[in-house]
Amino acid sequence: MDITRIRALRGPNLWSRHTALEAVVECSPSERDMTGLPGLESALRERFPDLGALPAASTEPVSLASVLARVALRLQIQAGCNVLFAGAIPTSQPGISRVVVEYTQEAVGRLALESAHALCESALANTPFNIDASLAQLQELDEEVRLGPSTGSIVHAAVARGIPYRRLTEGSLVQFGWGIHQRRIQAAEIDRTSAIAESIAQDKELSKKLLEAIGVPVPKGRAVTELDEAIEVMDSLGGPVVVKPRDGNQGKGVTVNVQTHAELEAAWNAAMLISDDIIVERYIPGDDYRLLVVDRKLIAAARRDPPLVIGDGQHTVRELVDIVNSDPRRGDGHATPLTRIRFDSIALARLESQGSSADSVPEKGRKVVLRNNANLSTGGTATDVTDDVHPEVAARAVEAAQMVGLDVCGVDIVCQTVTRPLEEQSGAIVEVNAAPGLRMHLAPSYGKPRPLGEAIIDSLYPGGEDGRIPTVAVTGTNGKTTTVRLIAHLLSQAGLQVGMTNTDGVFVNGKQTDSGDCSGPKSARSVLMHPDAEAAVFETARGGMLREGLGFDRCSVGVVTNVGLGDHIGMNFVESAEDVAAIKRVVIQNVAPDGVAVLNAADPLCAAMAEHCPGAVTFFAHSPEEPVLAAHRALGRRVVFVEGGDVVAAQRAREWRFPLTSIPLTRAGDLPFQVENVMAALAAVWALGMDWDAVRTGLASFVSDVATAPGRFNVFEWRGATIVADYGHNPDAIQALVDAVQALPAKRRSVVISGAGDRRDEDIRRQTEILGEAFDDAILYQDAAQRGRADGEVIALLRQGLSGANRTRRIDEIHGEFSAIDLALDRLESGDLCLILVDQVQEALDHIAKRIAPA
Amino acid sequence: MTEQKSTQNSSLRKPQADWRVQDWTGIVRFVRELGPTPRRLRPDSLAMIAMKAPGDIRILEIRSLRGPNRWAYMPVLEVLIDIGELEQYPSNKLPGFSDRLRNWLPGLIEHRCSYEERGGFLRRLEEGTWPGHILEHVSLELQTMAGLPSGYGRARETDTEGVYEVVVQAWHEEIARFAVIEGRELMMAAIEDRPYDIAETAATLRRMVDTLWLGPSTGCIVEAADYRGIPFIRLNEGNLVQLGYGSMQRRIWTAETTRTSAIAEGISRDKDLTKQLLAPVGIPVPEGEFVRSAAQAREAAEAIGYPVVVKPYDGNHGRGVFTNLLTGEEVEAAYTAALEQGSGVIVERFIQGYEHRLLVVAGKLVAAARGDLAFVTGDGIHSVQELIDTQLNENPSRSSNEDAPLNLVRLDTAARLELARQGLDADSVLSDGQRVLIQRNGNVAIDCTDEVHPSTADLVSLAARTVGLDIAGIDLVAQDICRPLAEQGGAVVEVNAGPGLLMHLRPAEGKARPVGQAIVDHLFPSGESGRIPIIGITGSHGTAEVSRLITHLMRSSGRRVGSATAHGLVADTRVVQSGPSADWDSAHKVLLNRSIELAVIENGARSIAQDGLAYDRCMVGVVTSLDTQALLPDLRIDTTKRLFGVLRTQVDVVLREGASILNADDPQVVEMAELSDGQVIFYGRDPSNTALIDHLGHGRRAVFARGRDIVLAIGREEAVLETLLDGVNVEAVLPAVAVAWSLGFTPELIRAGIASLDSVNRVARRARAQPALVESTL
Repeated sequence: MDITRIRALRGPNLWSRHTALEAVVECSPSERDMTGLPGLESALRERFPDLGALPAASTEPVSLASVLARVALRLQIQAGCNVLFAGAIPTSQPGISRVVVEYTQEAVGRLALESAHALCESALANTPFNIDASLAQLQELDEEVRLGPSTGSIVHAAVARGIPYRRLTEGSLVQFGWGIHQRRIQAAEIDRTSAIAESIAQDKELSKKLLEAIGVPVPKGRAVTELDEAIEVMDSLGGPVVVKPRDGNQGKGVTVNVQTHAELEAAWNAAMLISDDIIVERYIPGDDYRLLVVDRKLIAAARRDPPLVIGDGQHTVRELVDIVNSDPRRGDGHATPLTRIRFDSIALARLESQGSSADSVPEKGRKVVLRNNANLSTGGTATDVTDDVHPEVAARAVEAAQMVGLDVCGVDIVCQTVTRPLEEQSGAIVEVNAAPGLRMHLAPSYGKPRPLGEAIIDSLYPGGEDGRIPTVAVTGTNGKTTTVRLIAHLLSQAGLQVGMTNTDGVFVNGKQTDSGDCSGPKSARSVLMHPDAEAAVFETARGGMLREGLGFDRCSVGVVTNVGLGDHIGMNFVESAEDVAAIKRVVIQNVAPDGVAVLNAADPLCAAMAEHCPGAVTFFAHSPEEPVLAAHRALGRRVVFVEGGDVVAAQRAREWRFPLTSIPLTRAGDLPFQVENVMAALAAVWALGMDWDAVRTGLASFVSDVATAPGRFNVFEWRGATIVADYGHNPDAIQALVDAVQALPAKRRSVVISGAGDRRDEDIRRQTEILGEAFDDAILYQDAAQRGRADGEVIALLRQGLSGANRTRRIDEIHGEFSAIDLALDRLESGDLCLILVDQVQEALDHIAKRIAPA
Repeated sequence: MTEQKSTQNSSLRKPQADWRVQDWTGIVRFVRELGPTPRRLRPDSLAMIAMKAPGDIRILEIRSLRGPNRWAYMPVLEVLIDIGELEQYPSNKLPGFSDRLRNWLPGLIEHRCSYEERGGFLRRLEEGTWPGHILEHVSLELQTMAGLPSGYGRARETDTEGVYEVVVQAWHEEIARFAVIEGRELMMAAIEDRPYDIAETAATLRRMVDTLWLGPSTGCIVEAADYRGIPFIRLNEGNLVQLGYGSMQRRIWTAETTRTSAIAEGISRDKDLTKQLLAPVGIPVPEGEFVRSAAQAREAAEAIGYPVVVKPYDGNHGRGVFTNLLTGEEVEAAYTAALEQGSGVIVERFIQGYEHRLLVVAGKLVAAARGDLAFVTGDGIHSVQELIDTQLNENPSRSSNEDAPLNLVRLDTAARLELARQGLDADSVLSDGQRVLIQRNGNVAIDCTDEVHPSTADLVSLAARTVGLDIAGIDLVAQDICRPLAEQGGAVVEVNAGPGLLMHLRPAEGKARPVGQAIVDHLFPSGESGRIPIIGITGSHGTAEVSRLITHLMRSSGRRVGSATAHGLVADTRVVQSGPSADWDSAHKVLLNRSIELAVIENGARSIAQDGLAYDRCMVGVVTSLDTQALLPDLRIDTTKRLFGVLRTQVDVVLREGASILNADDPQVVEMAELSDGQVIFYGRDPSNTALIDHLGHGRRAVFARGRDIVLAIGREEAVLETLLDGVNVEAVLPAVAVAWSLGFTPELIRAGIASLDSVNRVARRARAQPALVESTL
């Protein structure tokens, strides 16, 4: 079994809405039917006991590729990933299938596929396989690459509200929303969090000074730089103190309840390891609480207890720690609700200060504290107390956050109880933290988890907004680019800053941000990332969907202009027009539930997509009599058609009419394929609720010429003759061009054509078959790029297509696109018409322009 | 290029700003921290042991007035000195004194003094003037030498012979204190014809300004705010500044603002991530690669194509950046050097052209500067190093001082590499006329704002927006900034948060740009002043009750009121501090509070005399009375005139759009009317008071009592607002009503407020037992 190619489908794709790996797998004849490999299943189960059920044979035999898919899925499930979907899809080539395996983390998916392959091979070869190591590796990788718990909880809340997200780094920086609605978070910090507020929070003295000014209780004391000063401060406070570095975090270098000068010196030395600036302040007896404030509201509160054991009169402290640590909820990292108590030198020192040791046996019921701070990472516990917090205490926390300037803020309080105001019990706010950890509230050791992610998302997107901008995805065999450009033009008429991708580049608000063929998911994502985009229109070509899936999770409007006979058949396992339709249908399958699919009612494969659309459908067709459209209309649904020289948008009794004469793109209706593009665009902006007056203006002002739409029916007048240049390169496009050209009067018609070598023979032949019925002269050329064809091969196919031509009388073969154009132009006489099917679009157009320019 | 925003440097390890007079140890400690202690600054020398004839200047007391005061609108030091026998020796009687002074302090020529012309003070010195006056000028000049603007000063005799009050503007209290003490030293040296090391004093003062005063970037923003009438409060001794008061405030920290996102700042620090975000939106960036070894660096360079740049992943200030590397050997060498400056190394395409820094504020390009290339030209005699010293580093705009537009050119690793490529080293002697490039990454300090192509201005604005920064310094490389970036292969190489502004404020060439103004305009759109309405109340008597009623009335408008009065410091509904709080510190706390929308601040005469006001201007100033018996002799407020001088401060600071509320029944208070920039509303118990009648006769406003009626009057028009019940303190109600009226409260609202006064009184009585409850019950 060979894996020849692996693709990561990072968006909705041919197979599912989920992210998945797609591998092309070739099985040897013996591997194509599991029944021929009788010992294999048990060999697999022996190596991977949790394998689960294997696919059952139906009409088709089960191949090893199907098993591979199942193993790769099962490995991920066993490693803790939430995945469901895997399978092998046979291709027309014997023994070759496409194996599709869902993943949540691409790296984990890839490793799982690799491990599954190794597992299958080892089962076949009867070599040992270490499943535990393999699973551990997957698990470890998953933990490394997936989002941490704080970020994860926020992302989860966003997803639940339908807000799109995207990770910007391998770390915790995440972007929500699209275009102008994008927002960012980094762990529990949001983009609005001010850098200054964060710096203030880091400077404990400064924050204390500000809190003091607004009357929030804070512990008395101050920052010092000399031990002498520290002693002075301690003496003036006249009681136990806390010694901590001025700009530390996570409780590093902090000593609490320092009572004597000797203890002070020890504490001093510990703090000096972290900072030269040390704070000495009054020690407040009581528990540590963390209050979490989001947007002036208290969202969660937890009591944090230091790691401790309770004596039973029998076991030593060391044994008690072991007993506590044997709790399966205690792990080593952040993944488990509790972390194991560290029994290290710090713990031993703490024991010593209490006059005991690792081997002392504490009496029953006695609490033995093993550390002075209550961080979860060193074995502390968190108990949810959100519902107990006195409103006055909550108010102090909110005021503190507000004064420092933090929207998401962890407020540390020391007091006896949060059920009574701080002022009554000399409790105090001891610290204010930016980017607080959420773990203790999301998964407290004891008590109720709190929906912090939701609160933070509500803060980013108040009022139920979903952070999306209107998106239109356009696919189809022909007419995509013009339709995309027209939709974008119409939306910009409505005052929106529109981002657009098409085969000519990426454009945002009229400015080009990328060039070349930009009809893939990467370009779509770049528009959604653009901070100025208020609406997006994507040309969504087959190539990108196959390669990577869609660049968005769903769109407001999906447009399929047509499928026709299809294009690119014979490439990438696309065998037929039905296969082409299945790919284009991906756009329609991923229309939002409140969105709209715009479909060509006259194209059967296209019209059939309607039933796959989660949202509504608008049909368009030239004729109101078109049965699919007429039926749709009769049901009171939206349709667009042509009637009496008008493009008509109609629903129930209402109609909006747009005379073709006022839509220059259609040449007063002479160009039927452009009329289709107009209908599709109209239906799309109708779905977005655009104002009809703006649509009218937009249709009238839309320009499609060499400058704005190179290679799309560019018309030149020269020496009394008409020249049309177009990039059409498949039978449907050629047919549409012929239909359009037929409407233009001409004495003699000539055509210049080459053929794209990567198309099927029949598709190349078909093009000249169509042309042969409409043109008197044909000039066939071949150019440098033959896309895998031998010299003369394409021209021979083109010639074959003309063999039975009814109209074509004269055929020339020329080497080089420019020479072919020159020849055609040289022969032109007044009243002639020449269709030039350009290949190197810009170069050829430049050449034509140069030739016909007045001397 | 970026100013240090270091919390470590901030205030609190230093002696607090409010350490009091006579506490000399603070200064001594500070000086010790700054450098060698001048022998004359030992505490015993400060004890002012009498020196040789003809006498001594003894500093008896230094008082810091931290806000508007009886002398001036700005903070000053009020210094009490005793010149003893020097009373007999005006400057013209001290041989050589004037010359020595002029020699040490040449800037004194700029002091206009009595003659209102340049050299005016020196003329006074020649003609003879006394030490108090001289100390005033010397202290100011010392501050000027340290880089602070010139300022206000005064000297005045007291009733005691030989004792003078010298007042000098204090930009920063500690610096001014040092200037006064050192000024005295300098004068004594001049009098006694002793040597004096003026250079060292100047250097110490400059160091103090460097550490204690605002950096140039922050300074220019604060200056721009001040120009717009937006007040400021420094929150630490670094560059963290609050602009505006209470709920209208914004904060800045160098060129970062309240609106600068911490996440965006983090993104900007990650150059790689920044590029990843910029490229998809169409901003040209140099493609590059993160590398983990020298070999990998070479590999990456080959993949990208020479020339390349090698630089630290997260370095700063252009350190460890190697540009235009042409070979694998160079790349490997640069890798090692770059690694020392950061946690990783990036290899990227070298963009041909000049370095530029473009400053974007709130989506607009406000300034641009171009980099400086340093060349030397050989003379066949001198080495490269010598030529650098003479041709480049002697240029006065180059200095190691952070404030200088250009740095000194040093032969660092990058420069050595540049030389090595030309087959040279530091000791090579260049042939006559040979021009050699020494430094490619010089300071970006040549203004080119007007040359930036509009499409590039749009691009950098988009770059700032994409990273998410309100203020960004964008580094880009282009051959010619006048042309679009794309057509010349230019690229954005970095986006900086909190960019230094110095290059735009003091460019080595070209126009300075108003970047501070742009930042202030961004924080405060036109029409916003950052101010909340402040009501200041002073007077000899009755201010506590007036303040309490005003607070009550103000609160009834639904605004979050902060009050610092004799009854306590209250923020909205909460008692921050109970007990007397009509002092500078309490008022200051109200202004710091981000939730306060309106402030009521009571200022006793003592508080103004001792500390000044806590605010620069206010919306409403109330003066209740001036009691000629209630003088403050211990503060030398020993005449009615001086007390008037103290209390009028409250009227002096009333804004033009504000109002002074004056008690017409007190003739001294009536006199303050003409001092008010804003309108004046008189109040009084007696409708027949001539001052009141006269005031109304001019069509002005007044509030007075007629029987139990409270009457609002404008000129001859009158309206009875309310008839009061017995037991209500009319004396206090009248000014409170006037305040509310001046702020545009509707009569209904004022009436409702008064109607609830009775309950106020009741609660107030109860409150005496349990102060914490008072305000929350309200």
